Amino acid sequence: MPKKTYSDSLERHWLLKNIPTPPFGKISDRRIVSYDDYVKNKGYESLRKAISMTPADVINEVKTSMLRGRGGAGFPTGLKWTFLPPVKDAEGNDVKDDEYAGREAPVTERYLAINADESEPGTFKDRLLMDFDPHLVLEGIAICCYACKLSKAYIFIRGEYHHQANVLENALKEAYAKGIFGPKGLVNSDSNTGGPRFQVDCYVHRGAGAYICGEETGLLEALEGKRGWPRIKPPFPALKGLFGKPTIINNVETLAHLPDIITHGSSFFMEQGVESAIGGPPSYGTKLMGVSGHVERPGVFECELGIPLRELVEKHCGGIRGGKRFKGAIAGGVSMGILGTDQYDAEMDFDIGRKYNVLGLGTACPTVFDEDTDMVAVARNISRFFKHESCGQCTPCREGSGWLYQLLTRIESGDARTKDLDMALEVATSMGSMPGTTICGLADGNNWAVRTIMNKFPDEFEARVRPTYVPVKMSVGAGAR
Amino acid sequence: MAWITKQSATEQIERREEPYLTDEMKRAINEDYRPRYETTMACLLPALHLVQHAYGWIPRQAMLEIAEILDVKPADVFDTATFYEEYWLHPKGKVVVSVCRSIACEFCGQREITQACKEKLGIDVGETTEDDKFTLIELECLGSCGTAPAALVGETLHENLTPARMLEILDEVSKEIDAGKHEHH
Repeated sequence: MPKKTYSDSLERHWLLKNIPTPPFGKISDRRIVSYDDYVKNKGYESLRKAISMTPADVINEVKTSMLRGRGGAGFPTGLKWTFLPPVKDAEGNDVKDDEYAGREAPVTERYLAINADESEPGTFKDRLLMDFDPHLVLEGIAICCYACKLSKAYIFIRGEYHHQANVLENALKEAYAKGIFGPKGLVNSDSNTGGPRFQVDCYVHRGAGAYICGEETGLLEALEGKRGWPRIKPPFPALKGLFGKPTIINNVETLAHLPDIITHGSSFFMEQGVESAIGGPPSYGTKLMGVSGHVERPGVFECELGIPLRELVEKHCGGIRGGKRFKGAIAGGVSMGILGTDQYDAEMDFDIGRKYNVLGLGTACPTVFDEDTDMVAVARNISRFFKHESCGQCTPCREGSGWLYQLLTRIESGDARTKDLDMALEVATSMGSMPGTTICGLADGNNWAVRTIMNKFPDEFEARVRPTYVPVKMSVGAGAR
Repeated sequence: MAWITKQSATEQIERREEPYLTDEMKRAINEDYRPRYETTMACLLPALHLVQHAYGWIPRQAMLEIAEILDVKPADVFDTATFYEEYWLHPKGKVVVSVCRSIACEFCGQREITQACKEKLGIDVGETTEDDKFTLIELECLGSCGTAPAALVGETLHENLTPARMLEILDEVSKEIDAGKHEHH
């Protein structure tokens, strides 16, 4: 039975089962899990189980589990998969599911793009999976390709992840050699007849240092070799994505959840995490949470969704650095905005946005600040990031992010006036896909980050600026003459 | 840099006789990358990575050669190459020292790391040392927020840095360069 409220009941790690992490292992024991080690630990058995089911059953299982995307938006994964159009055969007719297994290659190419472009400041969770347990990711990819009948998978990894790209490349070589992918791979040949099912290939595609390529349509543009400018939706990628073909885009961590959901069933997955306290969709499952900033032991931990930030920091990270007090925390990647001093007990689940006035859970990687932190500098740092990474396609974002950075630099240096605070808020509020002035959500991240910091720590900003008004000598009240 | 101002069309391209794309690179582009994608344009990022890895930067002539082998317009190659920050469009030092300046790093002591590099190398951020060994830059998040501050030296990530450790690393890498490692063509 799914539980309603959070209580720590995690008995073992699921995503990090092969990556020793406190409290179930020592960080010093970590090493890259090779194919042989992975198989010893029941690796690729979920894939075997998945291909004994029909694709529709696999999708249903994922749908029932209510797995929500771990890349930031929290969109239900199973639902996303059902947006795909039906597979067509050579004559252009729909291929029914029960006719699907044992068939020759589908005529329409369909793609999977794996979002491993983890560039948001504060976020470093996918890196851990790719660093040490690449086969878990590959197994998730294979299951997704089977369930959604996708012919090619591209792992879009950010350019700065040199080491992780190499680890993935090596793991892919092993997976091809051991018959997971490739023309005669496990996914591709029917175990009963030995005949081909359909061809699945998987490649690593390295990005080249652009945050915007983490946006799903920007990622597709980068895969196509163009500049990573996000596309206007609709059409959505599930219908017209990579090279104009149906495409699914999933985060690395989302795919890494799939093997466990298939092996243990959706009910196991729903035992962890929490129901929504405000009547929204639930937050089931565990989540990688990467804590950084002013804590004693920063790092990535696997926790159930719904864990209060205080427990995450005090129990897993050894508290705030140097015994200091908590001042604020970025909710999960800088674009999500900040949790104020009085929001230390915020529950880390998908409701966090509506409950605590931040944009959302994001990647659930909080950056924690102690009492000595200058919040104006935090806002300035974040706005510099967005100014730098704005792709330049939409004017409100391209110009607005530069304005915001200049305004915040001026406020930080003490040269600003009170009206500059209003102007910063006005610029911030006017850009983003929610006011409807930009194509993608990058400006929303900038907007929310700056606005929440200014609204939750107004004193610090006001103390830095000089008044705009002209002082006039006057007396008011009973003593007035 | 996501968006930069381009030079005008009057730009003169410096050429050399020997092509930048070696036979091995052409083979990799044609045999390894091309079958992966539906369009030849999609091979652009891997092809540019190849050139950058071999020469440390991407000369205009190499872009023309890539355009030719992939059968795309040179302007398209230029368009893509200028968009992505990791592609260097002018020569740089043998090793790039990239210090992360994003949120976790800045508030965990990134400034001291940059300062140590500046003093040690005698250059400002964005500059290259006179002996062409090092180029110092600051960039956005390296994905090592839990082990801040971090810096990428060449292709190797260094985490939990202190100014003293940073100086040691620079010394080690400097010796490696003297020993002939990190050489480009």
